[in-house]
Amino acid sequence: MSRPSPQAVWFSFLLSLLVGLLLQLVELPDSLSAARPLWMPLILSYWALREPQLPALLPSFLVGLMLDVLYAAPFGQHALGLVVVSYLVVRLRSFFIIFPLWQATLALIPAWALYCFLMFWIDGATNHRPEIWLRWLPAISTTLFWPLLWSVMELVRRPGGDED
Amino acid sequence: MNSLHDSYHHRPLFPRGPGLGLKTLFLIALALTLIFYDMRGDTLKPARAWTAWALTPVIWLASVPVRLVDMARGIDTHNTIERQNEQLQAEHFVLSARLSKMEALEAENRRLRELLAASAQLPDQVLVAEVIAVNQDPYRHQITLNRGSHDGVYRGQALVDAFGIMGQIVDVAPNTSKALLVTDPDHGMPVEINRTGLQTIAVGLGDERGLRLPFLPSNADIKNGDLLVSSSLGGRFPAGYPVGTVYDVKPVAGEHFMEAYAYPAARLNQGREALLVWNVGARADAEAAAAAERLAQQGETPAEEVSKTAPAAASSSAAPAAATTTTTTAPPPKAASGTAAATRKPEGAPPPKPSEQKPAAQKPAAAPGAKPAAPAARPGASR
Repeated sequence: MSRPSPQAVWFSFLLSLLVGLLLQLVELPDSLSAARPLWMPLILSYWALREPQLPALLPSFLVGLMLDVLYAAPFGQHALGLVVVSYLVVRLRSFFIIFPLWQATLALIPAWALYCFLMFWIDGATNHRPEIWLRWLPAISTTLFWPLLWSVMELVRRPGGDED
Repeated sequence: MNSLHDSYHHRPLFPRGPGLGLKTLFLIALALTLIFYDMRGDTLKPARAWTAWALTPVIWLASVPVRLVDMARGIDTHNTIERQNEQLQAEHFVLSARLSKMEALEAENRRLRELLAASAQLPDQVLVAEVIAVNQDPYRHQITLNRGSHDGVYRGQALVDAFGIMGQIVDVAPNTSKALLVTDPDHGMPVEINRTGLQTIAVGLGDERGLRLPFLPSNADIKNGDLLVSSSLGGRFPAGYPVGTVYDVKPVAGEHFMEAYAYPAARLNQGREALLVWNVGARADAEAAAAAERLAQQGETPAEEVSKTAPAAASSSAAPAAATTTTTTAPPPKAASGTAAATRKPEGAPPPKPSEQKPAAQKPAAAPGAKPAAPAARPGASR
């Protein structure tokens, strides 16, 4: 397979991060908003698995800070969660990458759950009353969206090589 | 990431720098430090404001789909518009009739207030703001408005809609501001039960159940259907706006107090407009109280000065009385001082009378006059 040029990879990387931020922000009905997939961890994990030469940690941190500002969360909350998830995915990349897609989907569940737990924990630590059970919904929805995101990204990136 | 980059021409961000684990540890430590400092003060406010400013286009982009839906919904058929127009005209007719009556009532109210020499009820200055974003974290009830410090919006400013108090501003950027809604679990506000005048605090529950009134005395006179209105305690909210309606009162198991629950009066997630209120009344009240205190400290004023400023003196002596009643929620003193002022006024306020009444009226006033500023911060939002 012909690899796209580094510039193209960077372009689609940044573009996908922007799209991810937008998806995090788009208004959902109240009943669904608790189950909003964790778009940023999804997208960052995709890139960490797919293009290991891209830096994973620093973008995670910066995007996390942006999410904190957009969500008015404590400055650093999402940054922390994203850095931890990125680290796990990068560290265990060889483990995730040999699996077929459906097994990778299952294998990533602990990462999403960890992210949910970190958010929940920091909210609790900063005296923001946490709702316990709904907190785990994103882990499920993210798991469902992982194969979808992977396939869509592969499809979109294949033909032109530089499209997101 | 540190194994493959040799085959690539571009330079990685950390060229042969610390390993993955070390970088992660560093960033985690940085994030924890940021969280700590963000919770402990305002040192990170500028960074937040700058990031928010830089992200404005993203927020705008994210609101585009909703705008489009709204726009599509705004396209109506000719028939609908005609029908609506008729309906609106009828409504307008009724309302303007009512408004003219209201104006008469307001004028009467102002006269009566002048008669009572209570602090002037200045009309609240307002500004219409548009809700440009809703915080999509389901556990934070916040909205972003399209007005910021350029429009004079300040932190702690009250936000109302046509039906009642929505919340208050917690964060101001140059062109936008963030408001915390009354239902956010971080939000608490002083309220008054309209029927009885009981003062208490309403905190948000964080879900659609609305507001909670904790720690009510078990014999408190409160029941389902009671209207909560904002109280001027704390000086943040203009007094008298509806806040919610009580729908459940129940004793707390094993405790000596009751809790009440209320639905918010404002339509928090409907409509895209909100009204920012400059709480001029509270400021005027505080100034009047301060002036009264200064007067009291001066001791006896010369008789001719009293006679010259008789209406002013009467007003300054009654204004703290009004302040007393709002802080202590005891109706009798209000009635007493009200009637005293009312009976005093028609006589033309002879000089000796106010001077002999002043100490009595102002002694209790000195303390509450100073007080509203101090506990002010506490009932307000803690963020």
